[in-house]
Amino acid sequence: MSATIALLGQPNSGKSTVFNALTGLKQHVGNWPGKTVEKKEGSFTLNGREYEVADLPGSYSLTANSDEEVITRDFIASGKADVVCILADSSQLQRSLYMMADYAGINVPSFLVLNMADVAADQGKKIDTAVLEEKLGIPVISFSATDNKKYDAFYKAMNRALENKSLINVSGLEEELEKIDAYNEMRRLIPEGKVENYSSMWLGVKAIENDKQVVEKLKEVLSDADEKQMEDIQRSSNGALDTGNSKFAWIDALLEGALNEKKSQVSIGKLDRLFLSPVWGKPAVVITILLGLIGSFIPALPFMGLGAGIGALKAPVASALASAGASEIITTIVCNVIIQSFQYIFQMLGFVFGVLFVFGLLEEVGIMARISYVFDNTMAKLGLQGKSVMPFLISFGCTMGGAAGTRVIDNWGQKVLTIALAWAVPCGAAWAVVPTLSTLFFGPGAVVVIIAILATMVLHMWITAKIFGRKLVKKEDRYGMIMELPPYHKPKWGALLRYVFGRTKDTFFRVAKVVLLVCTIFWLLSYSFVPGADPILCKIGKAIEPVTKFFGMGWQLFMAFIASSVGKEGALGVISALFTDGSVYTAFSDAMSGAAASGDLNSILLANVTRPEALAFIFAITFNMPCVVALAATYQETCSAKWTAKIAAYYTVGALVIATIVYHIGLLIW
Amino acid sequence: MNELLTLLKDGHARTIPMLADELHTSEEDVMRQIEFLEHMGAIKKIWTDQPKCSGCSGCSGNGKKACKSCTPDGGFKNMGQMWEVV
Repeated sequence: MSATIALLGQPNSGKSTVFNALTGLKQHVGNWPGKTVEKKEGSFTLNGREYEVADLPGSYSLTANSDEEVITRDFIASGKADVVCILADSSQLQRSLYMMADYAGINVPSFLVLNMADVAADQGKKIDTAVLEEKLGIPVISFSATDNKKYDAFYKAMNRALENKSLINVSGLEEELEKIDAYNEMRRLIPEGKVENYSSMWLGVKAIENDKQVVEKLKEVLSDADEKQMEDIQRSSNGALDTGNSKFAWIDALLEGALNEKKSQVSIGKLDRLFLSPVWGKPAVVITILLGLIGSFIPALPFMGLGAGIGALKAPVASALASAGASEIITTIVCNVIIQSFQYIFQMLGFVFGVLFVFGLLEEVGIMARISYVFDNTMAKLGLQGKSVMPFLISFGCTMGGAAGTRVIDNWGQKVLTIALAWAVPCGAAWAVVPTLSTLFFGPGAVVVIIAILATMVLHMWITAKIFGRKLVKKEDRYGMIMELPPYHKPKWGALLRYVFGRTKDTFFRVAKVVLLVCTIFWLLSYSFVPGADPILCKIGKAIEPVTKFFGMGWQLFMAFIASSVGKEGALGVISALFTDGSVYTAFSDAMSGAAASGDLNSILLANVTRPEALAFIFAITFNMPCVVALAATYQETCSAKWTAKIAAYYTVGALVIATIVYHIGLLIW
Repeated sequence: MNELLTLLKDGHARTIPMLADELHTSEEDVMRQIEFLEHMGAIKKIWTDQPKCSGCSGCSGNGKKACKSCTPDGGFKNMGQMWEVV
């Protein structure tokens, strides 16, 4: 006579390994009727007896939440299985015995297989199966499904369960459950034997857990009055929270004396004691970020040299072109537009590389996760959820990514506010343009500029939250968060460098396109094709200069500011185009004479732009709207043209206000 | 598990060792409670997926995967896991 065994276990309990080892090639795979869940059946012969094996779909529990769970339960309840093999992961018994606890009370014989015994042994856990067997009343074995030679114990346990029709002794579980009032009331309503194969204890538990299938079944067999009472009990109880606690308590009681493990002390590492400290956490994190950003300047240095090298090509190229008989307009385009743009692009790449590297490293090592933990409470003060930290962190790379990252925030108002605040975070392009300009004007003082920008960012976000927050976020209850922080570990340098180089390359192509395009357009607009006449851009520029001077920017810088709304790197294109040395002829004749100084943009910039002006400009582009694409992403995520426009207008005005303030502070300093 | 949910009501973020400490239990016990509450639908995992790219400039993503230029390849792998109360 053949027997059917069903394999029951949570995902990753090793069910498939056992199934394959038992059945070998004698298996067929299909779908459960009407479901997309895979159905695996097979058979094997042992001592002349035929055994059918059903691999039930893996699920967390037996509550009818998913197709997998319903299939599993229906199969067991149908009586098709003669014995159920319950699998649990020995390396985490407290967790994985939950399936067994959820099964307890079903009147189908079973035996318990504690799989992955090798892993548990490696962890120093000793499991006494005899104690467990005594307490549970069913065969219990400890084994490793991957060890093909050790299935004898498995077969023995299986046959013992079949012979004795061993059912789990649930008296311990029942004791725990009886501490719940709702359970006691429910039990009184459900006499034994009402539903085949299920004990009234099991039905009572599932009714409290509001398992729809069980409730339906009970409604069929209960009187109307009892049915109403059942619903009353359900309403008044804590549901699965209480029964879950009972099951866990029972598991703990079972493991008492059966599981011997080294008690691991709840320990917090030295670094975490600093980062997670309520007092020192924030300063530690802020200092880490600052040091990281300053450190990111170091890899930028070789790129700076490379950029300068490209700039030095101007004079030889100009004289070469001139001697080849190229017209002066070609010469100026090549030298003042193309070479100049590439000089900036390369200098910028150094900072892009540095920032990417530092942030990538912080993430790899596990510090980034601590940063998001530390800022969780700050988020609360801004009226946001802790998870808003992530969009902000991503915004350091790309505001558009940050905006897309707000998709995890369900509350629309909080989402819009998060995006509005993420705009204030200087993006990757800003981290490229700003240090380039800062080092040009302020040398090593650039570090101070960066720190000032970060401080302004914090202030900006705070003010923005106050302005927009009132309309967007209600003072609603904020629920806490659980964070599983990753352990600190050594970075995988290869993967990190691949990411950093890959992204630097992407940035190079994107930035090159924007800078060259913007530079060409602005150069053409500023080129006087008729000698002696003012070009269009000059005319407009001079007309608006009285106003722009108020913000601390000459017309050329103001144009660059406008261009930075398209993309921050665009600002560099405009600067390259507009700060040529006034007359083209000078550059041309310089080139003819081979003067190396021809079109040396840096010295022109330093001669024409004062330090307060430069500072005003740097702040203006940093806090201007990030770019057109971020604008589009904001619209896409908020689905509100009104709010997108509001935020964009707010940032444009805000940037000019900040520039004005910074300019006047600058005037006081210099 | 009621205790865990009650603790979270104050709106603070907690790590698993902190919860274990406050609930006078082991990290393993906290983990199984989290697992249970997650299956029950009382808390949910956040940030399991990287944001889908919808076309930032220079993006190599195709609208389905996270943008390679915005996040490290394969997303942030070392940010840990977070759960929030539903």
